[in-house]
Amino acid sequence: MPPLRPARFTARSSVPQAALATTWPPRPWLLRWPGLVVAVVVALAYVGSEGNVSALFSLEARKTLADFLRGFWPPAHDAAFLSQMVRPLFETVAIAVLGITLAMLLALPLSLLATSPVTWSPLADRPSTPARLAQAAARLVLNLMRSIPELIWALLFVRAVGIGPAAGVLAIGIGYAGVLGKVFAEVFESLPRQTAEGLAAAGASPLKVFVFGVLPGAMPILGSYALYRFDCALRASAVLGLVGAGGLGLQLELSLKMFDYHEVAAQVIALFLLVASVDQASRLIRRRLQHSRGLLRQSLPNRLIAAAIWIAACGASGAFLRFPLGELFSREAARSIWGFASAMFPPDLSRGFLAGLGPAVLETISISILGTAIAAVLGICLAYFVAYPSQREGAAVAPSAGLERRLMIAASWLARGALNLARTLPELLWALMFIFVVGLGPFAGALALGLHTAGVLGRLYAEVLEEVPEGPSLALRASGATGSATAWFATLPQALPQLIAYTLYRWEVNIRASAVMGVVGAGGLGKALLISLSLFQHHRSLTLIAVVIALVAAVDLLSGWLRSRIHKPASRGEESARRWNAPPAASATAW
Amino acid sequence: MTKRLFLVPILLSVPLAAAAEDTLRVSAIPDESPTELQRKFTPLGAYLEKATGAKVSFVPVSDYAATVEGLAAKKLDLVWYGGFTFVQARRRTGTAIPLVQREEDAQFHSKFIVPANSKAKTLADLKGSTFAFGSVSSTSGHLMPRYFLLQNGIDPDKDFAKVAYSGAHDVTAKWVESGKVQAGVLNESVLEKLFEEKKLDKSKVRVLWTTPAYFDYNWTVRGDLDPKLVAKVKSAFLELDYSNPAHKTILDLQRTKRFIPTSPANYASIEQAAKSAGLLKD
Repeated sequence: MPPLRPARFTARSSVPQAALATTWPPRPWLLRWPGLVVAVVVALAYVGSEGNVSALFSLEARKTLADFLRGFWPPAHDAAFLSQMVRPLFETVAIAVLGITLAMLLALPLSLLATSPVTWSPLADRPSTPARLAQAAARLVLNLMRSIPELIWALLFVRAVGIGPAAGVLAIGIGYAGVLGKVFAEVFESLPRQTAEGLAAAGASPLKVFVFGVLPGAMPILGSYALYRFDCALRASAVLGLVGAGGLGLQLELSLKMFDYHEVAAQVIALFLLVASVDQASRLIRRRLQHSRGLLRQSLPNRLIAAAIWIAACGASGAFLRFPLGELFSREAARSIWGFASAMFPPDLSRGFLAGLGPAVLETISISILGTAIAAVLGICLAYFVAYPSQREGAAVAPSAGLERRLMIAASWLARGALNLARTLPELLWALMFIFVVGLGPFAGALALGLHTAGVLGRLYAEVLEEVPEGPSLALRASGATGSATAWFATLPQALPQLIAYTLYRWEVNIRASAVMGVVGAGGLGKALLISLSLFQHHRSLTLIAVVIALVAAVDLLSGWLRSRIHKPASRGEESARRWNAPPAASATAW
Repeated sequence: MTKRLFLVPILLSVPLAAAAEDTLRVSAIPDESPTELQRKFTPLGAYLEKATGAKVSFVPVSDYAATVEGLAAKKLDLVWYGGFTFVQARRRTGTAIPLVQREEDAQFHSKFIVPANSKAKTLADLKGSTFAFGSVSSTSGHLMPRYFLLQNGIDPDKDFAKVAYSGAHDVTAKWVESGKVQAGVLNESVLEKLFEEKKLDKSKVRVLWTTPAYFDYNWTVRGDLDPKLVAKVKSAFLELDYSNPAHKTILDLQRTKRFIPTSPANYASIEQAAKSAGLLKD
């Protein structure tokens, strides 16, 4: 196993002594044998998720898998069913559009408050106390919004404002506002300071400094990230139907539960096409945005057109969903939301209940760890195939023959397709399928999480592998190393820190997904929450949500700490990124 | 772009459909698939519209608890509840009025089913198996089976290997039929219907045990609905006559021969069972 060497070691030989003046604290013993620690942790997670590899390969599992696949040939295509599917599909899109718009509306002011005051008063001596307090409060609010998974927000809003797409829009709006707000604040903080400093030196007020010095540079990145998040919102809204918040999820769940695999196949294909097309479109737009950074390069008519299209989309979505805007902002709705929220206090802290939660918490953690581990292994295998052609291209030795090259490219496209399929279907829908393969319980949840995350991580890994500097691998090949030796000793060690950083970041996302797996019966805290909400035991619901928030916060902290031990921050932007426990803003667009 | 987004709320001010005359928003607990609920209701809805003169619309709801919330939030007027959901609705609103029920519902049973090749012969044999209830809020699919299991010395949370909530009776039947769970419990009326319509293979599923009788489904109205409308609805149901061919279709879909009046007192024992099974806290 190649030694885990962080980037600083490989740079030692070329960096002058003076630059190494920063002393690095000795590694805690835990990180000295990372391979061993990881193996032990994953083994524990396997036990905790009631892992059962034989169940995966049992006769029952193979029979179910065969039934699934048979459903795809042919998928249900009778007119009645297809017409029944159209409305939920459009609902899914409409909920995502309105949800992400709401998220941006909420995120912008909050992110402004959450940005370090240094950003718009770069020449001030020290930020004022009210500004500091506002910053802390805004960060807290954003973290709370982020920590609660969208499905739980949806469950709460369904109780508070009733079944229907409105609950879905609110759930996505608030959940994603937290994510967007944090990234926006980070982007504001990590932009080059020269413009802002110049304006401040010329005497502009903080507001003007921000609007003219910081905002224009940030806009393309913000727009790009919001567009990326729209992709995620689309996938999320497909799932929200499971709890009654509108969209395709409900229909899909029913078809799955009744073993109507032809219908399932039709809906999966429809969802895949929808997400893939939106994904492609948004990728094209984001690439254009990336190339036209700066205030002057983006023409005004283009931006007006973009804004007009977005508003039209919102209007159409609102009308299509018959969005009860008047009802939502009425006094009655406010009263019912307030009534629901206050019915949850005080949380149920009885010893019996809390003790009963222990196993569920451990299950949730196990699902997240095992799922991430499965994803990492699966992801790196597929990523290798995706990145293979570009890696081999660099080899000056023995250019590949025509047929071999074509096979490599075919394998690369197959791998890419597999990753896309895994990524497109939300974890919960995979969980529903795995429940029928390996039975109810956390193992189904871990497998589903592993498969979905493999799709996400695989794509990221492939990008990292493709961008690895080819010097070392060329040198190894030139001295006669085989392809696999080159990959193992030249490519992988260089890529490893970034791969691990992405994996750890994904673990943070996965703990949130693990918490809700139980809603469909795949283990963890979700089941208890579903029961407490169904039985109107609101005090217990509050306790469960608090436990989820605490769990998410703990994993975020641990993951951030681990990542900080692997990466040495190179710039101020990365420094603030490290503080905020997220990958640097530049790679945010790569997600 | 941010400034332009503030126009969105103005653009989205969709005028709400004004509820002019009497309207009756009807719903039902989703204990079967939505298409099935819609199919059962359509002729009944047409009949109610003619009998009461009110505009009747069926509001499908995907979650038991949401029907309770809907009645409490005045978004629903007439709801087909199970015994437990009625108790929940009554506790939430204080004034929900149960009007009528099918004559079968006064003496309702749940049936425990196992796959045909299962070795279980009595309830006690189910210990250690994977078990499927219906929805968490279901009377015949969860509450009363749980209550009777506890009465027979079996604690579902401790004695079963895994407990799942299928969400609907037909789903429970499917899971047991295909062997995905080792046992399940569901509504006797739905079970008979599934056998009759050949949607469930009689040779693959066996009834293990039938529970004692209890009060279950009823049609409940909001307490603050116009009393004249309430009276019209009640008499419309009670006038359904099996010998009348037009009514026969309606009654067949509802799987009964006639409706009888009911009252809140009938559900005191359900409330008691819920409290002792731990599903209702005071």
